[in-house]
Amino acid sequence: MATIGKAVAGSNGRAPRWGMAIDLKRCTGCQSCTLACKLENGTPPGIFWMRVLEKEEGTYPLAHKVFLPVRCNHCIDPPCVPVCPTGASYKREKDNLVLINQDKCIGCHACIVACPYQVRFMAGDSKGYYGEGLTSYETEAYQKWQPHTVQKCTFCVHRIEKGLEPACVQTCPTGALTFGDLNDPESALCKVVRERLPFQPRAELGTDPSLYYLS
Amino acid sequence: MTHDFTVQLRSQQEWSWLVAIDLFLGGLGGGLFLFYELWELPVSIGLLSLGLVVVGGVVLLMELGHPWRAWRAICRPFSSWISRGVIFVLLFVVSSSLYIAPALDLFSWLPWSPLSLGGKVLGVIAGASACLVALYPGFVLSASPSIPSWNSPLLPVLFFSQSLTGASGILLLLSPLGLLNQRLEGISSLAVLLIGANFVLIAFYLMVLKKSGLAAQESVRHLSEGALSLIFKAGVILVGTVVPLLVVVWIPSAVVLAGACVLLGGLLFRYCVLKSGVYVPFAIT
Repeated sequence: MATIGKAVAGSNGRAPRWGMAIDLKRCTGCQSCTLACKLENGTPPGIFWMRVLEKEEGTYPLAHKVFLPVRCNHCIDPPCVPVCPTGASYKREKDNLVLINQDKCIGCHACIVACPYQVRFMAGDSKGYYGEGLTSYETEAYQKWQPHTVQKCTFCVHRIEKGLEPACVQTCPTGALTFGDLNDPESALCKVVRERLPFQPRAELGTDPSLYYLS
Repeated sequence: MTHDFTVQLRSQQEWSWLVAIDLFLGGLGGGLFLFYELWELPVSIGLLSLGLVVVGGVVLLMELGHPWRAWRAICRPFSSWISRGVIFVLLFVVSSSLYIAPALDLFSWLPWSPLSLGGKVLGVIAGASACLVALYPGFVLSASPSIPSWNSPLLPVLFFSQSLTGASGILLLLSPLGLLNQRLEGISSLAVLLIGANFVLIAFYLMVLKKSGLAAQESVRHLSEGALSLIFKAGVILVGTVVPLLVVVWIPSAVVLAGACVLLGGLLFRYCVLKSGVYVPFAIT
């Protein structure tokens, strides 16, 4: 099992800045990350914290699909945090993760409409995928989510705290996802970001996402 | 779920009628209170403005996923416009209640009056908070960088202007009750000016959006030829702007109709602005 080792405690005295690089040349659009996220986090029906968008480009006979995995970017200056009227959405100082305190969330949707990446979701009533009743898995998993509160990708914070990589990274069969500490120059993530020509999604907004796409 | 897995322009689905009604009622109440103070209108107008803001707040509570946690919404006034708005509304409800109360028989024993120093201070606070109640919804929307049609400095101006226009509309609607103390002519003239100014502002707002990016242009398309076009063209422009202008100018005896049209147009305007909000799509290549 892949681990993230020393970065958990902050490798160079600075608080870690967890981030991810997504190699668009390696992504095949298999949605393994989408399913791994679903299984790991047990998100309610219709909610995908991580998903791979696709788009058709070109025309026959040169038509092809391009893929773009999207998820919370854990921005350094996240637009979703200041608009939250209760402080339920917050950036955790110790590792720069953007998280949600469900107990404080009033369900006003302000963070959802403020997020430029469309990666925040409102949990509805806890209905399962298979009719009225919940499966054993759903019964267990949905206990984590309060209905009518906002939820989103946490970079699998529960796994990070155990020194493990997020489920999507561990699952990706092509190695398109690289997770690590952006504040650690020696991390695999920093190296790949230095070596390639990455771009941050909607960098023009000044949100400084902790997510880099490698093209 | 195919919809969520393709790159496309997507309208926001989060805020709809309930938020539109709240924005409408809050703005209406704030604007009406300003006119109440400005023209020293009867106390029933002040009470109505207070009632509108309170009802707007109740409607907003219905929109929340967890209304019983709503008290938490005052926690972030230094960053969140919703938080600021809640504080403005609370301040308005308290100060305007205290300002109006001595004018009511039930509270005539209160030791201040609108003309005393305490009453004047309350009047200033209530007026300022009414102004902020009418103004803040535009800032709530313009704080969203994800939706270009909202993320515009014009929106607070437009919403404030709409609030004043709606307030003039409600005064026209109530004119047969004889509450306006011979001020109907002045109010009618102001209504014409405000409706005209609103029309110019809306046109300018749409023109700016039309020359902006893809998502902003899509918002305009929604309003001009998309699903919202009927509501926008017939409701906001025709019923909410053209008809009341014509009625006030040429058929002054039917200002009640003009008032009703202005109110309907104001509500539909909020709805159209909310529903035409389109997110910037992901740049995939």
